[in-house]
Amino acid sequence: MPEIYIDNKRYEFEKPGKVLQFMLDKGLDLPFFCYHPSLSIPANCRQCVVKAGMPVFDREKKVFEIDDEGNRVIRYFPKLMTACSLDLADGLVIHTHETDELVKEAQADNLEFILINHPLDCPICDQAGECPLQILTYKYGPEGSRFEHKKVHKPKAIQLGPRVILDAERCINCTRCVRFTDEISKTYQLTIISRGDKNYPTTANGREFDDPYSLNTVDICPVGALTSADFRFKARVWEMNQTPSVDITNGKGCSTWLWTRDNLVLRVTPRFNEAVNDHWMPDAGRLAYRKFNENRISRPHLRPDDAGQVRTSWNNAQLTLQEELEKVTADEILVIGSPHASVEDNYALRTYFGNLGVSRFRFLPHTEPGTGDGFLISDDQAPNTNGVKGLGFDEIDEKSLIKLIETGKPKIIAILDDDLLGRTALTEEHLASSWMIVWGTNHNDTTRAANLVVPVTTAAEHAASYVNVDGRIQRTVPAKETLYTNRRLNLEMSMGRLDHYGTKFDNWVSDANRIDCIPAWEFFTRMKSDSDTIAWESSRQIMEDIAGTFPVFREVSYDRMDEENGIQLKLEQDSEVKPA
Amino acid sequence: MAETYTFTAKDLKEIEKITAKYPDKLSAVLPALWYAQDKFGHSDPSVQQLVAKTLGVPEAHIRGVVSFYTQFYEKPMGRNVLDVCTCLSCQVSGGYDMLHYIEEKLGIKAGETTPDGEFSVQSVECLGACGYAPMLQVTNDKFVNHLTREKVDKLIEDLRAGKKPDFESNPMPQHEKGS
Repeated sequence: MPEIYIDNKRYEFEKPGKVLQFMLDKGLDLPFFCYHPSLSIPANCRQCVVKAGMPVFDREKKVFEIDDEGNRVIRYFPKLMTACSLDLADGLVIHTHETDELVKEAQADNLEFILINHPLDCPICDQAGECPLQILTYKYGPEGSRFEHKKVHKPKAIQLGPRVILDAERCINCTRCVRFTDEISKTYQLTIISRGDKNYPTTANGREFDDPYSLNTVDICPVGALTSADFRFKARVWEMNQTPSVDITNGKGCSTWLWTRDNLVLRVTPRFNEAVNDHWMPDAGRLAYRKFNENRISRPHLRPDDAGQVRTSWNNAQLTLQEELEKVTADEILVIGSPHASVEDNYALRTYFGNLGVSRFRFLPHTEPGTGDGFLISDDQAPNTNGVKGLGFDEIDEKSLIKLIETGKPKIIAILDDDLLGRTALTEEHLASSWMIVWGTNHNDTTRAANLVVPVTTAAEHAASYVNVDGRIQRTVPAKETLYTNRRLNLEMSMGRLDHYGTKFDNWVSDANRIDCIPAWEFFTRMKSDSDTIAWESSRQIMEDIAGTFPVFREVSYDRMDEENGIQLKLEQDSEVKPA
Repeated sequence: MAETYTFTAKDLKEIEKITAKYPDKLSAVLPALWYAQDKFGHSDPSVQQLVAKTLGVPEAHIRGVVSFYTQFYEKPMGRNVLDVCTCLSCQVSGGYDMLHYIEEKLGIKAGETTPDGEFSVQSVECLGACGYAPMLQVTNDKFVNHLTREKVDKLIEDLRAGKKPDFESNPMPQHEKGS
């Protein structure tokens, strides 16, 4: 097998590649700014320079030349090479800053050049704490600056687009953002203008940076030059908790990180997942933080008469539903599942009403044809359409739903988290003769029209699974506490610095951020039931039930989903989403 | 964007000839921009937009190219642009004297354009003609060397009359015959 020597240690490589990527894969340390594994390699930051050489091969004798001490004679490149663009070759010898003084000096000097015009505004910079320039300067850079002249000033706080703000002074011209718009999102909206110490990235004259993927440039910016208009000055990186999750605003289900502080989701960033979204996610998915934080339903809401809804106790909510159910027979109940709710919640809904004798379960897919782009934005607006289908819910359209309600006159309509009144032509008049219960996360037209609203957790508050448009099942992890969960007790929840060392009497803590809600499945376990099928203690247990019942979910478990970053399901031909 | 610019059918034919020379469109950006600047006198955002649309190249890329090269004018300039060198060799040989003389004569400062739109004056860095200092360049084209007040007077008179300076051969001493 071909071999390569890095800092006098031998490594073997199988596939051709670049030296820097090989070192990163091996967990070796080398500083760099402009390189990104998913983008082209311009080698313009010059930070990853190494000393490289090849053994001298005697072509006549067909042997490597050997020196007096019995080692191969190495012929080094006359100048230092950038490891990011250097191909792996059999016998290649690399010396990094660990074993070569010249490389060490070159890296420090290069950093000194990069820092010449870089403003010293880390204390007010959003990137501080997750800034490669800051980190690498600590590790490899000079301690002080020898530069005594005035720094070059460039435009600051320019609104490049609706979601991205540019601070040109901080830019080190790595061109990652430009390459992202050229190679990944293909909108070609950014360029580097001017030259020398005056250059910085911007758009064409008078154009907005309105790329639907624009915020990815903020993620890959190795300094604080590009910042998110939404997240700017909201929180320090080290004050937040980071929790793996799934994008629930779109059928693609990009893997995400939820960044929380004091039980508010402050930002959503993409999490690397080769099978789904690589390093990227659409801007729309990052707005999900508003859904998690704002306009939430807290405590059950009951409409005792036509006057309006009042808050009520959980006990009363349960008893009310019980009473209403006792008035009707099973065929007078219309149960509607939701592509917006998780597999577990839909399954719990189905199991509970199945026990009552309801035999048909329906749901309305939420697609908007033409909105998808074939990349990470799908026509499907809901994260779990395939999951609901896999649980045997019947897909119906708007017309047949309205017809069903008009002609069937169900006495009870049960809707799992789905704003049917908001997104379809269904109106309150259609529902006038029915008693409606809605399990909802946020106030909307449907919950306002309901007779009983049960507040349920969002993807940021529960562990639950979602099946994306391609049939990949992925799960979320609770990131935000509800009134009934505690991150010190739930070992799955992440604990940030402030959670570890703060107290609930700190002035940055607000109890208002903890919503009075429970997972939908938990509500069903609290309902009095003759059957013992509803005795789950966790969503993990529900998934075990589902895996044993539905062939599509065979062999699915939380452990496997965690291990493999989601599992590709084999959807039956007829249960696949039809391409729009 | 004050004015909208368009290419005539003849222009488009010329640009097609340019693009035909290269394997891809990006390579044709520089010559196409030259063509546009020759026609319109500058490469302001609306000209950049026109070139981008004509070539089918991203607008942002065109802006990057135009702003990189000082020879492309990002805003409308006078009909004649006088780039007066004030870099080291010209400076010690009286480059600033010449610049100030021109400024006085035209009644504008470096970086400005005369109200009649005839002249723009710029102070520029080395143009690589140190041997003939002090010197200036006329609209990215001919050099006028060994400047004197009389030479400047004549140049401006000629340019007003629409006469461009001729190429001036200045052999270096070591290349002169007999030396």
